[in-house]
Amino acid sequence: MLATLRRMHTPRGWLAVAACALVGLVLIPLLHGALPPASPFAVSDRVIALLGKFCCYALTAVALDLIWGFTGMLSLGHGVFFALGGYAMGMYLLLAIGKQGVYRSNLPDFMVFLDWKELPWFWHGFHNFFFAIFAALWVPGLLAYVFGYFAFRSRIRGVYFSIITQALTYALMLLFFRNDTGLGGNNGLTDFKQIYGWPLALAATKRMLYVSAAAALLVSYLLCRYIVTGKAGRVLRAVRDSESRVMFLGYDPRKYKLFAWTFSAVLCGLAGALYVPQVGIINPSELQPSNSIEMAIWAAVGGRGTLVGAALGAFVVNGAKSWFTVALPELWLFVLGALFIVVTLFMPDGLLGAAAKLLDRRAPKPAAPAGKGA
Amino acid sequence: MSVSAPTSPLSDSSDEPLTAEPQAVPLAPDSERRKARRTRAVSEQRLMELAQGRKAVLCVDNVSVSFDGFKALNALTLILDAGELRCIIGPNGAGKTTLMDCITGKTRPDAGSVYLVGHGEDLIGLSEHAIAELGICRKFQRPTVFQGHSVFENLELALAGNRSVWRSLFGRTSKDDAATIDATLETIGLEDARHRPAGALSHGQKQWLEIGMLLAQKPRVLLVDEPIAGMTHAETERTAELLVSLAGERTVVVVEHDMEFVRNIANKVTVLHEGSVLAEGSLDEVQANPKVVQVYLGAGHA
Repeated sequence: MLATLRRMHTPRGWLAVAACALVGLVLIPLLHGALPPASPFAVSDRVIALLGKFCCYALTAVALDLIWGFTGMLSLGHGVFFALGGYAMGMYLLLAIGKQGVYRSNLPDFMVFLDWKELPWFWHGFHNFFFAIFAALWVPGLLAYVFGYFAFRSRIRGVYFSIITQALTYALMLLFFRNDTGLGGNNGLTDFKQIYGWPLALAATKRMLYVSAAAALLVSYLLCRYIVTGKAGRVLRAVRDSESRVMFLGYDPRKYKLFAWTFSAVLCGLAGALYVPQVGIINPSELQPSNSIEMAIWAAVGGRGTLVGAALGAFVVNGAKSWFTVALPELWLFVLGALFIVVTLFMPDGLLGAAAKLLDRRAPKPAAPAGKGA
Repeated sequence: MSVSAPTSPLSDSSDEPLTAEPQAVPLAPDSERRKARRTRAVSEQRLMELAQGRKAVLCVDNVSVSFDGFKALNALTLILDAGELRCIIGPNGAGKTTLMDCITGKTRPDAGSVYLVGHGEDLIGLSEHAIAELGICRKFQRPTVFQGHSVFENLELALAGNRSVWRSLFGRTSKDDAATIDATLETIGLEDARHRPAGALSHGQKQWLEIGMLLAQKPRVLLVDEPIAGMTHAETERTAELLVSLAGERTVVVVEHDMEFVRNIANKVTVLHEGSVLAEGSLDEVQANPKVVQVYLGAGHA
């Protein structure tokens, strides 16, 4: 046990993780809940919702880094798993409305609008919160497993793999746009009222959702860290560097890739499920190819192959995004593009790599990269 | 030549001189071959026919491969004895690398079989990693170590043992494993480089590390492709010592062009030409063989 902890982080690294966890899971909720809104230190509802959203993005980026940074497969389709998790949660939230919808019906509004008489078969069970959470994990996981099984069996690698993941998200977007698919078509699922009996508009609910997202990020980060610092992580990096060599060592690289890929998808599904109650809507625009590309940008900007960097990148890019889209909305996409180019050209190891290099230059001995949790 | 009574190919009754001429082993009857292909089972009788009483470990049985009509291997039959150090030479395009590819599962031949004595099945059709797990390991021409991993981690990955994802996630490196790695580090002379990234090693050190990785796999058969290409003289000598010390416990097959190096290490040489075995014996014998001279120097010199 102790050896495992030691292998995951240096003592300083653990201290940094603990500090981040303390700030993220204790301090920020306290500043939101315990201070009067007028206080200058208070965290507003808007900010805590924003932070909760960022935690979900960071969780996605960590999941993406596991397969891109460590296994060398760039997925441009992780939006699929995020959206599937989101839809699973959205289905629960929509059914949780009950008869409070516009049409006062047991069925969700869009079904009444489409003149459907009963729930489609795959909606059954989603009345239950835990069923929905479970579905948010296994549905993306199963899709990833099946997709990965065939892709890795056919030895699809590199840019070809990226392209078919991009095609996957595009295909699913077209599917989810259709009304007949039974998931709200164009408009998706929205007008949520409550989660597990708690009204979504309540400040306490927002806080709870934020804490769940932050905790999920912390736990997922530690899980991924456990994987990449162990032997499995060394095999994954070996697959990234020379897959055929790994094969001649007697390992089956497909199984390792499939494991990392599926695990990553499950984490993404979790992120999506935590994201939807905070933003109040899930629709096929989450499946746009550009969304998945943006996820890769988060990881690249922060620094891939570090997990922490990916999370950091998600916070930085989305922080910049929410500022720019308010202040200079028409400039945001240019800024994003420029950021990506600058990072790729001048900071191949991302922001984290650049920061570590700066620290190295200042201090005579190499500084251990700090770990960061939530 | 006196052929000892064919007992079992596994038996230790080999007093056959190492300089035996290669004998053409006729194909098994059609019906039997078809049955073997269906079941992929190794027929004990066929193994004995191939081994001819020697203590064989790997039998390549009439393997043919063609690429777009070019016959890279043409009904090639090759028997490797347990514990020997065999050098395979031949002009470019003779099929040396293709032979390695077939044994390790990288290339699937059009016809023929590869038997590992003690494993009841034809190796043809198994995946690369399955064959590697059976103990047939290969070293490529260019050193392919994991550059980003440390020397220790490289050996750890190569270590024989359970290779499942589950085990890698939750298993731990035991004391025995650590001892094996230490011993291997000593054999290849890289004790002091244990925590250096493999990418920072010299060319020769990388080659040794790779040989060390193959050792850690505890192979029965070690296939080594041009081990001394690009090495300094001192590195070459060290490599020769290493390869000689490895044979005995395991079978080592070396593909090499450098005749001086071959003379230093080999007790038996196989010459390939146009996808089949042209001659087999000690280096002096095959060099004196008129067919070999003709192939290497052209028709006028025969």
